[in-house]
Amino acid sequence: MKKSRLAAFGVAAVLALTACAPTQSTITEAENDESTGTLRVWLFAEVNQDPKAAVVDEAVAEFEAEHDGVEVDVQYIPVDTRAERFNAAFNDPASAPDVAEFGNTDIAAYVAAGGLADVTKEVAAWDESGDLTPSIAATTEIDGATYGVPWFIGVRALYYRTDVFSELGLSVPTTLAEIETAARAIRAAKPEMVGIAAGGAYQYAAMPFLWAGGGELATQGPDGAYTSALTTPESRAGVTAYTNLLADDICPSALCAEWTGSASVQQFVAGTAGMVVGGDFNRKAVDESAVGATYAIVPLPGEKAGEIAPAFAGGNNLGVFKSTERKSLAVDFMTLLGGKKYQEKMFDAMGNLPTFTDVQEKVAAATPAIEPFTETLAAGTEFVPSTPAWTQIDAQGDIKTMLQTVATKQATVEQATETAAAAMDKAFSEAP
Amino acid sequence: MTSLTTAPGAGSTSARPPRPARRSRTGTSRLEPWVYLLPAAAILVGLLGYPLYQLVVTSFYDYRQANVTGGAPLEFLGLGNYAQLFGDAKFWTVLLNTTVFAAGCVVATLALGSALAVLATRVSRWVRSVLFLAALGAWATPAMTGSAVWLFLFDPTLGLVNKTLVNVGLSGFAGHSWTAEKWPAFALVGAEVVWCSFPFVLVTVYAGILAIPSELLEAARLDGASMPRIARSIMVPMLRPIIIIVTIQSIIWDFKVFTQIYVMTNGGGIGGQNLVLNVYSYQQAFASNLYGLGSAIGVVMTLLLLGVTLVYLRLLRRSGEVL
Amino acid sequence: MSTSITAGMPDAGASVGRGTSPSAVRGTGSPDAEVTTARGGTGAAGARRRRAWKNPGSNAVALLVALVVAFPLYWMVLSALRPQAAIDAGDATLFTTDLTLDSFVRVLTVNDFGRFFLNSLVVALAVVVLSTICAFLASVALTRYRFRSRTTLLVIVLIAQMVPIEALTIPLFFLFRNMGASVPAIGLNQLGSLVLVHLAFSIPFAIWMLRGFVAAVPVELEEAARIDGAKSFRFVRSILFPLVFPGVVAVSVFSFISTWNDFLFAKTFIISAQENQTLPLAILTFFKDDQNDWGAIMAGSVIMTVPVLIFFVLVQRHLVSGLAGAVKG
Repeated sequence: MKKSRLAAFGVAAVLALTACAPTQSTITEAENDESTGTLRVWLFAEVNQDPKAAVVDEAVAEFEAEHDGVEVDVQYIPVDTRAERFNAAFNDPASAPDVAEFGNTDIAAYVAAGGLADVTKEVAAWDESGDLTPSIAATTEIDGATYGVPWFIGVRALYYRTDVFSELGLSVPTTLAEIETAARAIRAAKPEMVGIAAGGAYQYAAMPFLWAGGGELATQGPDGAYTSALTTPESRAGVTAYTNLLADDICPSALCAEWTGSASVQQFVAGTAGMVVGGDFNRKAVDESAVGATYAIVPLPGEKAGEIAPAFAGGNNLGVFKSTERKSLAVDFMTLLGGKKYQEKMFDAMGNLPTFTDVQEKVAAATPAIEPFTETLAAGTEFVPSTPAWTQIDAQGDIKTMLQTVATKQATVEQATETAAAAMDKAFSEAP
Repeated sequence: MTSLTTAPGAGSTSARPPRPARRSRTGTSRLEPWVYLLPAAAILVGLLGYPLYQLVVTSFYDYRQANVTGGAPLEFLGLGNYAQLFGDAKFWTVLLNTTVFAAGCVVATLALGSALAVLATRVSRWVRSVLFLAALGAWATPAMTGSAVWLFLFDPTLGLVNKTLVNVGLSGFAGHSWTAEKWPAFALVGAEVVWCSFPFVLVTVYAGILAIPSELLEAARLDGASMPRIARSIMVPMLRPIIIIVTIQSIIWDFKVFTQIYVMTNGGGIGGQNLVLNVYSYQQAFASNLYGLGSAIGVVMTLLLLGVTLVYLRLLRRSGEVL
Repeated sequence: MSTSITAGMPDAGASVGRGTSPSAVRGTGSPDAEVTTARGGTGAAGARRRRAWKNPGSNAVALLVALVVAFPLYWMVLSALRPQAAIDAGDATLFTTDLTLDSFVRVLTVNDFGRFFLNSLVVALAVVVLSTICAFLASVALTRYRFRSRTTLLVIVLIAQMVPIEALTIPLFFLFRNMGASVPAIGLNQLGSLVLVHLAFSIPFAIWMLRGFVAAVPVELEEAARIDGAKSFRFVRSILFPLVFPGVVAVSVFSFISTWNDFLFAKTFIISAQENQTLPLAILTFFKDDQNDWGAIMAGSVIMTVPVLIFFVLVQRHLVSGLAGAVKG
């Protein structure tokens, strides 16, 4: 009897399964456009967040003063778990915020998920949009439509401690190989420091090593489909060069494998690193630290002297969620915070490079310190594959895992690149 | 205190047969129990039964961000997610991690808890009170705050443990990261888990020891039996039911540890080296938005625990527990 | 009679502790039973043990263990009271009189911990009240009536408390999303969703536990009430409920703590509504890439831990004293 009951249950279960599938729901633009209430804003948490928060608070105060009955609720979310937050917001539009800061590497996926509002008209009508640097404005566009405004450019260069270099008689590295030698010398002379804070979870520091030798993350076929290129000899050489830095005599993997970009820069700020690959957005935090007077920045050198390693052309945008019930307010806030006035304030506070050509010229004239970054930009930059699959690859941590497993000797470069390439190809093939 | 011998029956305790149900003779009272059952049943069916069913259903589908938000059609994969899962070396690694980690925690919890229970019978009353008070404190600490304070104690630069080790001359521990490598990280998390779960074993086994009739032990002693002999021939058999339940309970708990792993290894450790099934399922679903695959992992976990539960039910039944 | 009650009670204590899942928790031994024993001693047994086994070495070892076990809690409190500058400078002295409430003030004012505390409290109390009512009624049905499928239901309840709730996060996420579309108050981002989800996880264990208490009330009492003309529900409400109150307290503490400790669902369900965050998530925000704010983490941890400790102490007393009355009745 038990068996027949089980069988009956089994049949019922099969029937039920085919009858009832998981739910689907399309994100639609809200019908209403409220002009009061709470405007929820997601911005990224930062190393040394206070200056950023101060500028944002100022913008919020200005905005709230101009809009009666509106309260702006700003939440700072950690960059490395952003995928969970954004996915959840796309899955439940009712819980989504109204405005968000996001990395330009994620835009393709967010648009594919249908989560961002098309603000082409609004941005075109905005009087400041004409001054946006065209190549940068392009990072907010997908298939001709605009999804937000570029908030700042993120480009990285090599920070080094001038006092340490002169004390040890080191010269400024002119090739990637010299970085390794200099780092080793620093660690040997000052065991309390790491030669270069090369984080195992800091993929944007590793990418230039890859690109400098002609390696690539992925290549695009004639049909537009991407294939991972991590297993090419050039790419592997790049991975090897970067992970070589995570050695006991430079940056012990037991410490460094865990470090993200922020954590790596934090080591430099704390005075425990001789060098670090840092962004323009990190400069302020370093300036204000104890090492503020004893450091300099140069473009990250390439394989040969005189070359500049192609940097990752990062940067963050501000966008509006499609599901917002306060689209006009959201656009207003986006253009206020992403406008010239606050971009300039953000430059002063955080060092973020502005996205308006005229503002860039203005701040560059006043601040020679950003020259290494503009020089790097001018030398040519690279970008991650612009496909929704990249967000997936990023969230899975494929590149990060590759670096970390090599650094901690859980895998060889060959094995780790193989694994990462397989995971990337899978993501590429599954991308919508 | 005789109760404690029946305690193994556990929460069930009331191992008595149901009351003679007079009222069921009349028509209205036949409905009565169902009325009382209704609120609980509604919630359990709606928020436990239905989700469980949905978990299984979802595990048969390709259910990703685009499928959820309507950007792509739903695709029935049948056992596709399972095939992918079982074909993935990572899954087996995670399963192994989970098993080894849980087994380690269970063994350590039981050993420490039982040893201290025996110890507790041999100390002065006030010492015992102090010991139990400390244990209750650890027991009461929420997983989140327990993880936080353990992490702080073992912080590479600011933690007390490294500082102390350096002070006693082990300078190699300056800045040593306890979470950098796989097994040390698991050991650290495991230590926190054992810390907050051994009190349960301590208190339970201690109560069990007290419930052993003293005449029995006295008689054995008069017969000249040695302590180890008494332990082996009297105490262990009499504590068996309690130990079985404590073990199963610990297996179920330690197999499902989430908060500690998530907080202490920052979501699964370097390169995912500290992932356990629970966290893996969460990451696959909510970070990588592979809800179908995440559900399949959830189903595997549920089935494994269901297996443990069935063993438990069998043992309950064998010990004469009447449901 | 006392047999089943003392043994039933243990679950209360036993269950508390591991925050993650009510369903998982099912105790056997009893801290309460134990404590009574420890305090009162058990006559012959106690005397025998004292005579036969006690030795100073054991005392010393036990005290040392107690010290080690209690140390993390002490360190939590001490670090919460240490000035932030001292923590950042790596001050790890075991004792100091240089204490300050700065960290507490900071988390309560700047980080709005009062609000999160209140959220956690509201959710936990709602779960306590609702789960106790539901579980009490269900346990009455399952113990004082005999009907077909009764045993089946009991087995289902037992299995229900073993279901790994973490595995259900995915379907529950979508379920609450869909429910939120029609009833916003129980949708994602709302405290209502947390209440419901913990209700579901608290009830099976609560039923299982209350069953022992309900069954322990003598059937003669019920008959007497019937002769007095008490309607069935009135009997349940005004006679049975007060009698099993100790059990209710135990169950309540359990539900409270498992809800209070929840991390996973608060993390998954509260998407953007900062004002609806609960304590564990609030503490998590102090973990930073660059430099964890340990002072704030420890202060937040103390704020989160203290209520649970208090409940632990409370349940000990209340249960023991309450039980005596119930048994006599």
